[in-house]
Parts: sequence; C-alpha cells; structure tokens
Amino acid sequence: MAEPLVSIRNLTVSLPQGADRPLAVEDVGLDVGRNEIVCIVGESGSGKSVTAHAIMGLLPRGVTATGGQILFGGVDLLREAPEALRKRRGRDIAMIFQDPMAALNPVVAIGRQVTEQIRAHRPVSEHQALNQAGALLSQMGLKDVASLLKAYPHQLSGGQRQRVMIAMALSLSPQLLIADEPTTALDVTTQAQILKLIKRIQAEREMSVLLITHDFGVVADMADQVAVMRHGRVLESGAARSVLGNPSHSYTRALIAAVPHGESQLPPPPDARPLMQVTGLTKRFRRGGLFSRASITTAVDDVSLTLSKGETLGIVGESGSGKSTLARCVIRLLDPDAGEVLLDGADIAHMKAGRLRPLRRRIQMVFQDPYSSLNPRQTVGDIITAGPRAYGEELKQARARAADILQLVGLNPQVMDRLPHEFSGGQRQRIGLARALMLRPDVLIADEPVSALDVTVQAQVLKLLDDVRKQMNLAMLFITHDMRVAAQVCHRVMVMRHGRIVECGPTRSLFAAPSNDYTKALLAAIPGRQSI
Amino acid sequence: MNFARRFFSRPAAMFGFAVFVAIVMIALAAPLVFARGPFNIVGMPLLPPGAPGLLAGSDILGRDMAVGLAYGARVSLLVGVTSTLCAVGIGILLGATAGYYGGLVDDLLMRFTEFFQIIPSFVLLMVLVAFMQPSLASTVIGIALISWPQVARVVRGEFLSLRSREFVEAARVLGMRDARIIFTQILPNALPPIVAVSSMMVGSAILTESALAFLGLGDPNLLSWGSMIGGARSAMWVAWWTPVLPGLSIMVTVLALNFIGDGLNDALNPRRRH
Repeated sequence: MAEPLVSIRNLTVSLPQGADRPLAVEDVGLDVGRNEIVCIVGESGSGKSVTAHAIMGLLPRGVTATGGQILFGGVDLLREAPEALRKRRGRDIAMIFQDPMAALNPVVAIGRQVTEQIRAHRPVSEHQALNQAGALLSQMGLKDVASLLKAYPHQLSGGQRQRVMIAMALSLSPQLLIADEPTTALDVTTQAQILKLIKRIQAEREMSVLLITHDFGVVADMADQVAVMRHGRVLESGAARSVLGNPSHSYTRALIAAVPHGESQLPPPPDARPLMQVTGLTKRFRRGGLFSRASITTAVDDVSLTLSKGETLGIVGESGSGKSTLARCVIRLLDPDAGEVLLDGADIAHMKAGRLRPLRRRIQMVFQDPYSSLNPRQTVGDIITAGPRAYGEELKQARARAADILQLVGLNPQVMDRLPHEFSGGQRQRIGLARALMLRPDVLIADEPVSALDVTVQAQVLKLLDDVRKQMNLAMLFITHDMRVAAQVCHRVMVMRHGRIVECGPTRSLFAAPSNDYTKALLAAIPGRQSI
Repeated sequence: MNFARRFFSRPAAMFGFAVFVAIVMIALAAPLVFARGPFNIVGMPLLPPGAPGLLAGSDILGRDMAVGLAYGARVSLLVGVTSTLCAVGIGILLGATAGYYGGLVDDLLMRFTEFFQIIPSFVLLMVLVAFMQPSLASTVIGIALISWPQVARVVRGEFLSLRSREFVEAARVLGMRDARIIFTQILPNALPPIVAVSSMMVGSAILTESALAFLGLGDPNLLSWGSMIGGARSAMWVAWWTPVLPGLSIMVTVLALNFIGDGLNDALNPRRRH
C-alpha cells in the first residue's frame, strides 16, 4: 500500500485549565491516503474539529498539541516552523468551514477575495488572477461568473457562498482539502449539491479530502474511509463500507441506529374531528418605509390545515419556506394578515389580546434553540412554574405538579433549583417541554425541537415527544427541515415552499409515492438514503 | 449570598465598596461630629493642612476644610444617587417601552429621546437650574433630565435584542401579560449594562453637580465639593489644598463607584456562577 498523504500518530491535544476535561484529543491515530475521502464522524465535543484544526496548525489559543505527530508527506507539521506552516496553508492544505458567511469578508467583493488568496502565494497579475478566479468559480458550477465576481457575500445564497469557499480553497490546487461540517448550515437540497460537488472535484483532481461530519448519512454517501470519534478518542476506523455495514463498537452501532432512517413507522392518522382548523392563513412582512422603498414579502401564502387530537402533523420545508412563520401565526406570536385559526370553533387569529389570554394555555410551544429558549436568570423551577403562576395557580401546588412533569420528561425533580446553563442541550429541551406541558395544553407546536441536538440525543427527544403526545393525547404540529425526522414522528406531512403548501398527505404514502417534483427533490437529497 | 461572594472576590470591587462605605459614613456622621456646620469660621484663612486643629487646613475665609469636605460628601452623594435613581427610572420606563413594543411607539419615544440628546446637555442643565432657582431639588431634577436618555438608549438596545429571544416568546405563549414579561423576564437579563451605566452615572452626576456649584448654580445654602473648588479659584496658586482636596474627594468617589459598577457587572453575570 502506498504511503498515506497525512498520517496522524498518537496525537494528543490539551485543553486549557478549567475546561470540562483535560484533553480535547487523546492518542488519536488516523491516515488520509492519496486520492480518497476520509470522514471523521462524531457528536459535539468528540474532538473531530480539533483534530482537523490541528492539521492546519489552527488550534484556538490555550489549546495545544502536546504529543504525537502529524506527518504530511513525511514532514511533521507539529514541529514545522510557523512561517513554513503558513506557506503550506492554502498551497498544500486548504480548509472550508461550516458557516461560509462567517468565513467570507462581508465588505470585500467575491472577486477580490478569491484573487487575494491566489496572489498571496503566486506572482501573477491582478488580471491573470481574476481570470483564474472566474475559471475556478465556473468549475464550481456557478453561473454568471462575471457579475458574481463583483458581488458581495450577502448577495449570495448559502450554497453559492460555500461554492465560493470551495473555489478559494482549491485555487492553489492543494493536495488535501479539509472540510469541517461544510453542509451543516445548508438546506438539504443544497447540501446534496455541495456534497456532489466535493466528490466530483475530488475525483477530477485526485486529491484527498478529510470531511468532518456528525451525519452518518453524509458518511454513507461520501466516505472511502471513516473514523468514529467520541470524547477525544477514535473508537473505530476502517473502510466506510465495513464500518457502516458491520460496526464493531457499540457506540458506532448506537450512532447508526440513531440516524433517522426516513422510513415512516406511524400508521395513517386517526380519523377524528379536527381540534384545530386553519384556513387561508396569510402573513406578509413589510420592510423599509419612510426613507427607503418599502418591499413586501409574503411569508405564508393562503395555507390551510387541520389538526386532530392525538395526531402529529409535520410541516417540512427548507429555510425561508415560511414554516416557522406559519407556526408563529398559529400560536399568535405573529398576527396573520388574513385567514382564520379555529381552535374548537373559536377564531384565535384575530382575537383581541385580552380575550386570547385565557385560550393561550391550550396551545403551547417547544422552541428550537435550547440555549435561548430558557431565561438564563431564572431557576428551572421558576421557569416551568411561570405559566401556571400567570394563571393564578398557587406556587406550592405548581411546584408539586412541576416535580411530576419533570419526571415525565425524564429529569430529576431536584433540578428545580438549578439554572439553565448547568444543563446540556438535550436536557434543556426537556425543560422547555416541561414548561409547555405544565399548562396541560391541547395543541403542542414543536418548532425544530431537535435540530440543534446531537443525533443520539435527537433520537431520545423525538421518542419523548412521541410518548408525551400519546400519553396526553396531544395534537402536535411538528416543524422541521429534516424529512428523516418528520418520517419518524409524524402521521401526516405537509411540504412547504415559498410560503405555500406543495404537497400534503399521510407520511407513508407521501414518502413512498411523492407526487410533487419538489417533494421528490427533497426526498432524493436525504443523505445516505440508499446506503443506510 | 453567592452574589456577595462573587462581588467581593474582585479586589477592585472590594476596594471601591470599602471606599464608598467610608464616604457614606463620613457624610452621615458629619452633622454629629461637626455640629456647627461647614460655614463656621474657625481661624485664620489659608492655613495649610496639619495646622493645629485643622486636619485639612482652612479655606479662603478661614473655614475648616475637613468640615467642608465632610458636608460636601453629603451633597455630592445625595445629588449623585437621587438624580441617578430618577434618570434610571425614566430611562428604564421609556427604553423598555420603546424596545419591547418597537414600531411606531419606538419611533416616537426615540425621537423624543433624541430631542434631549441633540441639545448640549450642560447648557440645557444650566438653563433648567437657573429657571427653577438654584436649589438641591432643582439640581437633582436637572441632572436627572439630562442623563436619562443615556439609560433609555441602553435599555432599548437590550430590549430590542432580548424581546426576540425564544424565552420571551415562550413567556408570551404562556399567556403572561406584557408588564410581567418586561419586568420579570427581560429586565433581569438587561440589568448588567444598566447597573454598569448607573454606577458610572452616579459618578458623572457628582461631577456635573460640582461643575454647577463651581459656576455658582448650586444650592447657595449648602457647601458642596464643587462649590469648594469654585470658591478656591482665587487662592489656587497660594494654597494648593483648597482646590486639590475637594477635587481628590470627587476623584476618589467617582473611581470607587466605577469599581463598584464593574464588580456588579461581573457578579450579575450568571455565566460566572459556579
């Protein structure tokens, strides 16, 4: 076997004092061969990003490689002089990041950012560099390159930005491309395109790619070799096919099992009288005014739906599809411009605040961001009793019920005196759910409740939501961008695009035989659909 | 309990607090110890500090500087604290309303705030105080009126960013009333910058009062540090202590307040709780 391009041996990276553990990465060994894609897969805190950044010599302050070697073509990068390492970056090893908006300079035109990179390493004229940049961008599948070169990052879509990042990374024909979660911030259809692009470029240029991801679906689509990391150690590594098909470590098996597989298990919806009926809901946003031209966007356009007790209706769409706006109109965090929302026959869409207040407790919500959805200055007990207290329940009684609800969501009632920052993301989502359940709602709206969570935690929270729905006979509106997640918990699925519903139906039949082209594209874009 | 420990774990905060407490004690004790008041003439004018019976020397009229400094602390602290409390009250009320409701309410309130901000504030203050007749009350009201926009701006900014947080949305979904959301959910999270700004404002209010008193627009019946400096103008070159000692008092007090502000800011930050 040929000598690998990168060979990481016994790499140990220490964290600064006061961190939650002394070592970010411990005794990690990993080879990246020539002309192959290697995936490092793991959950947050597994050390996968630190490993990648160590190769680039880009560890954050206070985080230092204390042992081992990173051999790149036989040279140990950890012992190379800083200046030599700087020259190597971009030329031999390039990197792309999760958030292309943060990685691009917002006030410099795309063309200059790409040529700057080229001219920093090569003695070419501005004109030559610009030509090279244009050629690179069109290789990345970007259209209308001439105007793109003059554009600024905010004028591009997320997918375009990531393509520009890849073009910049490839501008000096590096031997190794490190991609740190390159598609995590992107929509699923865009993700599929970017992954395809990386794969095509890799094959064309016969380069090596080190891809960091948390998603086994991505691994299945991309990887030749895979390494599974957890708590800073490599648990298992080998050819992707054998690791995926025959995982030897129990954690790998758990990770693969936790990947939502996109196969619906739930039966068709129970045929019941609808509890909530939404008809013709429309929400427009106005921007500008007085000194600028006003523009109007229709975020939700004539949407109708029904929701019955005990049923979960999934609303699936990519970013900007209007799914969150729809949820916020239904729960009256936003005032809809037209249409009605009937809850047991009462229209809450246009109800005055005073009359609405007593009805509010019947519709509750679980939010997306486990970090901003809990007041950081209140204890868990205060947070989850605030709802009942607002309706005049005695503190003592509310706290007694809170203890029960906390147990229901799988938390120890003793956590009531603690503050939110002491909990993990999954635990915070449980607290958020407990807060909603304290009001004994009829309808629960879950807005991307698991999208910020690691895949194993995601599976637990999804199961909890489904259990709670059954136990309390809740009607649940489940907003998500992830078809695989929707398939797991929803009886029916609605697909949204540009504020409209493009398709709606029972989960099983919609997944088995989608009728709309966009739905088909969404389903086809699910990573790892063929292999897992 | 824990809060106090976090606050006092910072040497600067501890120092600031100790100094501030000492000044407050001096201010409180002044009428008990120096019952005859600061305007009482005790000896020859312009005696240097350390002259028999005169710890801080005497001023241009032969009054005991130490007594003046102690009585001046009363005026400075009273003006600094009360005017800041008024300004913070107005600022929180208007800033919170503007930031929480946004839209037209925000536009109107902010234009109103800007009206106060575009006028040179010290000139406005002099006009206000002169118009109301110089007195302790007019000084306090005047300073509060020129300093609330700063608080309102900070509070509005915090509210604008906090009101779209999911925990605030959650509170609305739970059916809480707006006032309750503003005061129990958002305000506690907006406190650190407000506390920091206020403690600095006490300092700047003391400075402003001194400037007013220096110009003779202070309460004529009260001796303040500012009026002591004002009165010492002509003796500055022959008796350095007459302007320097009240000046030092102002500096030390303002410094102590800034240290307290920094300490409070850190101690109120829940991320530091362990």
